[in-house]
Amino acid sequence: MKKFFLVFALLGTLQAKTYTKDVVMPNMSFSIPVDKNIIVMQRNCQWCHSYGYIINMGKQNEAFWRHIVHKMRDTFKAPISEQDEKIVLEYLMKYFGKQD
Amino acid sequence: MNRRHFLRFSAVAATSLYASQGFVTQPKDDQTVSEVAFAEKKPLITYSNRPPLLETPIEYFDRAVTPNELFFVRWHMPIIPTVKWIDGFHLSVQGEVENSLFLSMKNLKNDFTPVEITAVVQCGGNSRSAFHPTPVGIQWGNGAMGCAKFKGVRLKEILEKAKLTDNAKWLLFGGGDKPVKADIPDFQRELSIHELRDDIIVAYEQNGEDIPFLNGYPLRLIIPGYFADSWVKQLDSITVTKEYTPSFFMDVAYRMPKNGCRCEEPQKKVKESEPLSWMEVKSVIAKPKNHAKYKAGSNIQIKGVAFDGGSGIAKVEISLDGGASWKETNLGKELGKYAFRVFTYNLKPLNKGKLTIMARATNNKGQTQPFAHEIGWNHGGYAYNGIDTIELEIV
Repeated sequence: MKKFFLVFALLGTLQAKTYTKDVVMPNMSFSIPVDKNIIVMQRNCQWCHSYGYIINMGKQNEAFWRHIVHKMRDTFKAPISEQDEKIVLEYLMKYFGKQD
Repeated sequence: MNRRHFLRFSAVAATSLYASQGFVTQPKDDQTVSEVAFAEKKPLITYSNRPPLLETPIEYFDRAVTPNELFFVRWHMPIIPTVKWIDGFHLSVQGEVENSLFLSMKNLKNDFTPVEITAVVQCGGNSRSAFHPTPVGIQWGNGAMGCAKFKGVRLKEILEKAKLTDNAKWLLFGGGDKPVKADIPDFQRELSIHELRDDIIVAYEQNGEDIPFLNGYPLRLIIPGYFADSWVKQLDSITVTKEYTPSFFMDVAYRMPKNGCRCEEPQKKVKESEPLSWMEVKSVIAKPKNHAKYKAGSNIQIKGVAFDGGSGIAKVEISLDGGASWKETNLGKELGKYAFRVFTYNLKPLNKGKLTIMARATNNKGQTQPFAHEIGWNHGGYAYNGIDTIELEIV
């Protein structure tokens, strides 16, 4: 039994040496306004990135946001349906939009 | 038309003109540092946690080497393996080679000649917030850059061991970060074998420590003089090919207009473009902070860093009169042609009011920084290198 424990202890130290980095990502979130359409944002945008990406763009016009939504759908394969595209754009213009 | 009307009219005209042409200003510098610190990092300016996007606050560019815990972070893909079991990590070298390699960290550290190089790594979109209208991409201030001493092995030595075949023309570099679905473009970079040089290394240390997790632990491709988009993090594969492999991150993203001005109109993207590669001469003022207040007669030290794509910094000058005249600053020790070079300049302003300070670097090729407004707009907001300008209030 003693030998058994010794082997375990040795294995333990070996493991401690090979597993060199214990990285924990911080628990944080970037929040955007919650309204009835937030669920559409959740199901389309959060696969690949936090809302920080949206907030960082600042207020932009509709052409800008439409371009981004299409890029996310066509290049980065966000599962944005035709119906969701309208809602996402409406949401972005409501909270992150500007006229020009 | 009286003067006031004329001014307003010009402002409107300018706005609509700019809207069609695009214009460039100073990048933003009013971001706040997050309360949350990431692994191995001090709290930094934080744009996203997934993927992590962290910017170094400007005041830390008062030194030639950026500490690891302050080093900026930029990943493209949301899934980043934490590589806890380092003995299970390998770098593969395959394709047009006579000997396929599968190198452990121990192989790299024991079987190759270690080399060190101090070099600046700068995101292609560093200072993007200077471009108007807003190009798509992270709206960085000046802090998506850093300078570190990297230690590793020469890429050339690895490729010599693998023995390139006569067909070898392209090198494709892959990293550990992955998209959530297989049909989303993965982040990879490609170099022609003509771009190979002795100072490209595969690094396992940054500033005397393991490369921080968020900067690409355990291996990162170091291409001194090139923008960071080619410095693949968590490097785990080198594929040697005969034909160029098309990919989103080479063929669509990180490309500059290929014309004389390297510029284009927002509505009219230039057809011919090329991948970002060499960095141009640039400098930033770290201290004092923009809009700081000082009492007339106080001693102020201006401090910052300058760098270029590897010819080295010849001089950094300061202007206190809007660029009409320039005075040379003192340069710190040169840690290498690719490294940050610290500059300092002391002054004692006696007159009250606004004081505009500009810094302009010139490299050893005689190339110098343009004013921000002289820089042409490009759709990616890449490669900004305008003369850095701050304004102090002397009271």
